[in-house]
Amino acid sequence: MLVMIGRGLEVAGISNAPFTIALRSLGRRKSRMTLIGLLVVLGTFLIVFGGTFATSAQIGSKQAIIGNFTGDLVLYSSKSKDLPSPFSFTTPLPPVENANGLQDWLASRNDVSKFVGIAQNYGLISVEKDGKKLDLSFLFYAVDAPRYQDTFNNLAIKTGAYFGVPGSGTEDGILLSTRQHQQYIDKYGINLQPGDKVTLLSVTGGGAVNAVPTTVRGIFDPVKYANVFDYVNYMDIGTYGKLYNFTGVAEGSLPTEMDSAFGASSDEDIFALADSAAFDTLDVDSLKVQTLTGYTMLSVKFKEGADQQAFSNALKEQGFAVKTATWDKASSFFSSIAGILQAVIVGIVLLIFLIVVFILMNTLIINILERTGEIGTYRALGADKSFVSAIFLWESLILNLAAALTGIVLSLMLIFIIGPGGISLPLIISQYLVGGGPLQMIITPGPFVFGLLLVLVVSFLATLYPTRVAVSVSPLKAMSGK
Amino acid sequence: MKSVQNNTQAHDTIIRLSDVTKEYFLGSTKVEALKGVSFEITKGEFTAIAGPSGSGKSTILNMIGCIDNPTAGHILIGGDDVSSLPDKKLTKYRRSTISFIFQSFNLIPVLNVYENIELPLLLEKGLDEKTRRERVMRLIEEVGLADRLKNKPNELSGGQRQRVAIARALVTNPLVILADEPTANLDSATGAKILELMQELNQREGTTFLFSTHDQHIMTLARRVIAIKDGLIVGDDRKGA
Ligand SMILES: Nc1ncnc2c1ncn2[C@@H]1O[C@H](COP(=O)(O)OP(=O)(O)OP(=O)(O)O)[C@@H](O)[C@H]1O
Ligand SMILES: [Mg+2]
Repeated sequence: MLVMIGRGLEVAGISNAPFTIALRSLGRRKSRMTLIGLLVVLGTFLIVFGGTFATSAQIGSKQAIIGNFTGDLVLYSSKSKDLPSPFSFTTPLPPVENANGLQDWLASRNDVSKFVGIAQNYGLISVEKDGKKLDLSFLFYAVDAPRYQDTFNNLAIKTGAYFGVPGSGTEDGILLSTRQHQQYIDKYGINLQPGDKVTLLSVTGGGAVNAVPTTVRGIFDPVKYANVFDYVNYMDIGTYGKLYNFTGVAEGSLPTEMDSAFGASSDEDIFALADSAAFDTLDVDSLKVQTLTGYTMLSVKFKEGADQQAFSNALKEQGFAVKTATWDKASSFFSSIAGILQAVIVGIVLLIFLIVVFILMNTLIINILERTGEIGTYRALGADKSFVSAIFLWESLILNLAAALTGIVLSLMLIFIIGPGGISLPLIISQYLVGGGPLQMIITPGPFVFGLLLVLVVSFLATLYPTRVAVSVSPLKAMSGK
Repeated sequence: MKSVQNNTQAHDTIIRLSDVTKEYFLGSTKVEALKGVSFEITKGEFTAIAGPSGSGKSTILNMIGCIDNPTAGHILIGGDDVSSLPDKKLTKYRRSTISFIFQSFNLIPVLNVYENIELPLLLEKGLDEKTRRERVMRLIEEVGLADRLKNKPNELSGGQRQRVAIARALVTNPLVILADEPTANLDSATGAKILELMQELNQREGTTFLFSTHDQHIMTLARRVIAIKDGLIVGDDRKGA
């Protein structure tokens, strides 16, 4: 290839003498140049392989987050001041208004592949032990069970079963995480098992307590991000609605007088209601029962190639009282972990390159000082300064380009050796990075282009100063005999 | 300073030094290497600058060679004053008007014989490959190295290396070839042969040579000897011709 470059320069009418001299001079200083070459190979390898690693982690974490928590887009109440997050248990977002209408609309859209409503909240499980009542605290996602499983199939049931198919009579109840289950045993000596009847207690702002009987349906492990989400439990949305009184009369179906009476603040107003004509003539059939689902967010997955902007515009037109958050905004700090890793890798690599620059500069300067006689000779023979700088720029470019390409080839080889199985990482690292499991190495052009450009820029910069030293060598140096 | 402008020469003066001085500073001590040197070189001359070590021979050649500037005085090459030209102009003089033969040969180690001789032609743009080849091959024949075309300098003897250097100096058809002790790194027999070659080329090609030496035998081969001592010219002898 280098010979071809030389040939090309000759054809283009440019004197290729500096190139020829550079190429052959490299060969004369093999051990020193090999050392620099190896450093650049290492640097390139680190940046290309590290970059591919970080990019793969980013892709992997995006897939894991979209696939298991957020979907592509999260819809949440426009009243919410906070962004949705996987951790909003103790300060849940306000429930989404008209969630059913929203779900109907989502179901009608053909750019949406899947969606599911989720409510995050906490409550208590009331159990009896040795005649005494015990309240166990309990963080949970309340979900539309079949839809949830269809959208995020991320629970591995260890004992018992998932909520079950609708109509099977088992679709209501709770699922406990393995860690939660074990904690109840360790802390309270209570071993809840699938089939156990328990009473759920809600804890509401006003201090009111609702008690809803339910059944433990299963014990599970989270498939992804297990270390982070092992304290999260599940509840079906029906039970959740009962627990938190999310059942009421639909707005607008109640006569106005009654509506205002319900909103009354004094006893007088309430007694006045009894006298009201409306009360006597109330047509019960006209009342619509509205299930306020209590969902705090709806996760939407799009079909491939869906126009998300068009979706958002259409959503706005519908006038639902919701805001949207993309997966990365709705995943708390998780989406940034891979980005941070990438920044760290880039930082380390830049540091290595800084060292390489100094070693490279040093070696080039030593190289030049050893060759002042030769440089002086070129100048005495009438070579311009540009001829001398061309020699040293070529030397650096040839060396670093060859080393960079070697580093790239090595990275590719390693990536292919790793193969489709991916890299297995220590659990704790892979949990935070991609939610667990091996990291699939995905080849993207980014790290390769970046690595090559960086080497070229770095080698150019590292050569600038030595080249200035070289061109300042006086032709008089040709005269100082050996 | 006296004017040199109006002193036009009847015969072919190609180099003229008038009242050239050169001072070096070693810390705060001043070294007067040349204390006012004036002489002329005519086209086709074969001149030696002779003198003991430290007398200023190299200093003179370096200034004529456009690789050093005089402290005072003027140096004219082909009629042009080069005593205070910027580097770029001096480089052009070195490329097309002057050639050097060095004491240590100064061949480019990574280039073979052919390429070393061709190098000055590559610095001069606009010469096609065929012209270059013809010129290089003719000179390789002249210096008797036609069978060593592809050899690298380290595969040649000292005498052979200096022959390559002579061919390299001649390849641009320079106005003058400057040689600072061209035989100092050679044994006396080889040195004499090199000088004979230079003499031959001087006669055959009409090339002007100006070389320095402190070797008595080499001096006898010159047709003109400028003797120098302590930075001053102390003699200028021409053999009858
Ligand atoms: N770069 C320099 N710095 C200081 N002094 C110098 C320098 N170059 C030459 N000189 C001094 O100038 C004087 C003339 O030196 P020059 O090299 O011209 O002598 P030379 O006749 O060529 O001697 P030699 O036969 O040893 O080569 C000497 O005294 C020398 O020490
Ligand atoms: Mg000398």
